[in-house]
Amino acid sequence: MEEQSRDDEVSRRGFLLTSAAAAGLTAIAEHPRPAVAATAAGAAGAAVVEVALKVNGKARTLSLDPRVTLLDALRERLDLTGTKKGCDRGQCGACTVHVDGRRVLSCLTLAAGVSGKAVITIEGLADGDRLHPVQRAFVECDGLQCGFCTPGQVMSAVALIEEGYAGSEAEIREHMSGNICRCGAYQQIVQAVRMAKEGA
Amino acid sequence: MAQPTMDRIDARAKVTGAAKYASDHNLPAMVYGHMVTSTIGNGRIVSMDLSAARAAGGVIEIYTPGNRPAFRGTLPPPLAPVFAEARHPLADSEIHYYGQIVAMVVAETIEQARDAAALIKVTYTALPPKSSFEDAKQNPADPPVTGLPLGQPIKKPQDVDIETALAASQVRVEETYDIPPRHHNMMEPHAAVAAWQNGKLTIYSGTQGPAAHALELATVLGVQPADVHVISPYVGGAFGGKAFTWAPALLAAAAALALARPVKVVTSREQLFTVTGHRAASSQTFGLGTHRDGRLNAIKHHTTSQSIVEDPGYRTTPKYYLAPNVDIRLMVTPDMNLPTATIMRAPGDEAGSFALESAMDELAVRLGMDPIELRMKNYLESTLIEAKPYSSKHLDACYRVGAERFGWSRRSTQPAAVTDGDWQVGLGMSTAILDSGRASTTVRVTFRPNGTATVGCATSDAGTGMWTIMAMTGARALEVPVDRIRPALGDSGLPVAGNNDIYGAVGSAATSTVTPAILVAAKEAIGKLVEHATTAAGSPLVGAGDVRYDGGRLVGAGTSVGFGELLTLTRTAEVGAQGTSAPLDESHAYASYAAHFCEVRVNRWTGDPRLGRFTTVVDAGAILNAKTARNQITGGVLFGLAAAMFEEGKVEGATGRISNANLADYLLPVNADTTEIDVHFLDHPDTRLSPTGARGIGELGTVGAAAAFANAVYNATGKRIRTLPITPDKLLA
Ligand code: FES
Ligand code: FES
Repeated sequence: MEEQSRDDEVSRRGFLLTSAAAAGLTAIAEHPRPAVAATAAGAAGAAVVEVALKVNGKARTLSLDPRVTLLDALRERLDLTGTKKGCDRGQCGACTVHVDGRRVLSCLTLAAGVSGKAVITIEGLADGDRLHPVQRAFVECDGLQCGFCTPGQVMSAVALIEEGYAGSEAEIREHMSGNICRCGAYQQIVQAVRMAKEGA
Repeated sequence: MAQPTMDRIDARAKVTGAAKYASDHNLPAMVYGHMVTSTIGNGRIVSMDLSAARAAGGVIEIYTPGNRPAFRGTLPPPLAPVFAEARHPLADSEIHYYGQIVAMVVAETIEQARDAAALIKVTYTALPPKSSFEDAKQNPADPPVTGLPLGQPIKKPQDVDIETALAASQVRVEETYDIPPRHHNMMEPHAAVAAWQNGKLTIYSGTQGPAAHALELATVLGVQPADVHVISPYVGGAFGGKAFTWAPALLAAAAALALARPVKVVTSREQLFTVTGHRAASSQTFGLGTHRDGRLNAIKHHTTSQSIVEDPGYRTTPKYYLAPNVDIRLMVTPDMNLPTATIMRAPGDEAGSFALESAMDELAVRLGMDPIELRMKNYLESTLIEAKPYSSKHLDACYRVGAERFGWSRRSTQPAAVTDGDWQVGLGMSTAILDSGRASTTVRVTFRPNGTATVGCATSDAGTGMWTIMAMTGARALEVPVDRIRPALGDSGLPVAGNNDIYGAVGSAATSTVTPAILVAAKEAIGKLVEHATTAAGSPLVGAGDVRYDGGRLVGAGTSVGFGELLTLTRTAEVGAQGTSAPLDESHAYASYAAHFCEVRVNRWTGDPRLGRFTTVVDAGAILNAKTARNQITGGVLFGLAAAMFEEGKVEGATGRISNANLADYLLPVNADTTEIDVHFLDHPDTRLSPTGARGIGELGTVGAAAAFANAVYNATGKRIRTLPITPDKLLA
């Protein structure tokens, strides 16, 4: 029998957290710095950052643990749960939102890093009761099954049409490949993107 | 005849983000649980240092084997303890597999729970794990006797000596086919939000069977099933992985009870690979012996797998081809230090069809015979063992129509003969057969004063289209436009009959189970409505003798009134009834069929195999909604092709760790890996199965897809790959 202590998994996780945070901090440097304040409520030197976001056109201010990702800020603080967490690691695309008009994986983005920016989520796409043309096309072409990847697919599709990457089926497939659909509704998704593009 | 087709009624909620999945529920005073998993594959926990975690901000409780949540009972037999993890989470300090739950931190926020979990230090006594299936399959054991048919030997005749029968056959193949472990990887991780009030649990937890989930939770928690309310209208993919109850839901429920606060537990992607079930690796040996004209004389199908839960022999071989001598057997490799094996889309059928349909292709090559001709030579009109006639079988037409649509006649019989620039091009085909059936179930149909009718059953829709099928069938039964039907599912409070129908959407049987019950319930409800019209105060038809229901209106005594208006006049909130479908007619056997045709292109320099084209022709009875049915088939085919092209859970034999437990390293097909799949439905309603005539389709596309791909790879390259997935290294070797 071998006696061994295994806490290496813990340090590996710690490393991942540190590197994810570092990636987020690089992003922060380019933008107005959020105010950081030490708080009595947070333990062991934890701080709170004031984050001002414009989410779906509405100004929101949040006092956040600096570790909070944009995804968890949307889902757990603002109750905008349309944006999904499929992996929390930047590997599936379910959490795709638009930040200042660009596609962003919100699970890899610290909320504090996008302070001052405009965020559009799946909830902000329709004009009241009128669906966005991409949403309409997904309904009509049946570009979904379980629907869990769908918010991310739709947000990617909207951006890729605007960016001019929906020229051919091959181009659509390539540029939609950051969004995994385990149900395998890919051909219906491609049809939806084409339909939306032709109507655009 | 044009098949009915309709947009999914849940699509709008799904494209706008309004659809609420389990983890989308945020309740007042809710706290977050985060699981910690073991970093050894075998051994025991010696000590746990929780001090740093306890001191971290926001931590409320840390559950460990030394501080266990209260589980009072075990998963209810006969199915759940076989198909899910029978051992309670945190039951003791023994470690059975790498990635087993060793703690759960509950904290005020998700960040606090996650980061405190990373501060827990566990000291283990580690033993060498028995985690290598490659090693274990050398010494398999007889399967346990569970009372289920899985794992039981099948022989024809009873005293068959299969080796002698094979030796006496004029032409033989005998080969072994290996499939690595696979993981469901539905996009929605297992998650639960649990809240107790007055001794009753409400739990938002994605499930294929709300009633079974409630029963399993209740039994383990030691409360009455009626005191557990499972709410699961939207399920972000399941594929068999959400058929039974797993640790995340149990821990959320137990912690919420102990802490008297709602608890949300979301499994991380990495944890999903180990704390919930997976498809175990399998190794199958097929021996096929034929006469020179291609008629089979002997079939030997011997499988080794981690457990009995997916038995390719039982599920596949007795329903494919006719042969006088048959020997089917399963051996297991018990007590492995691996996570729990469970069912996954087309359990047994997928692995079995890959092996059998590859072996048939090898046999066709040896016989110099067309693969379709070989299959037609051995066509089954009734089941192989009991000789029960099939209710409705048009597989021959699937072959014929598919060959025509695909251009099968252009296939080169010589392998490695066709190139297109740098690509070798090959064509392959396979057969898909999936048992069909249905459970007797109960549906409630209710008329309302606003002119709508509710159609409710405790079934589930994990993307299958059940919301829409229920609405369409309700509309047909009540003769009203579909927008006046309000389907209800995904709630354990809705009706079930209480037999196997509690498992909801499993075995591709949800549509065939629920739709006939809708017809029965609608009839009952119409009866109640007519009675109401003739008796209720305020009705213009009181006392009328000849009242009948016609297209949503009650007609009689020279007048008529819509049901909404009637209930408004009688000031009645609802009139409705439950109805239970009749049991299945057991005089026949039922199955769905498809013929798959696949073109593969293999790069001659890199060995990269790409999907070129795919055609499938499907005989699945009546197609109730062509739009969602097509999506089920294309998605199912892709699920099967994924096994051929990409999927492999990589277990490190020395540690038991799954080294690719994430979506970057465990490859799933993405959009650019796929192509337009051509689906054609034959239209032969199976009215012996049920009055709606619909058979199962959810798993049908998956069955056989990997073999069609592998057979096309052989035709393209002359290389027969018998170990999945078919990766470039195998084609370059
Ligand atoms: S959740 Fe962000 S990419 Fe998967
Ligand atoms: S619709 Fe289920 S994962 Fe895409």
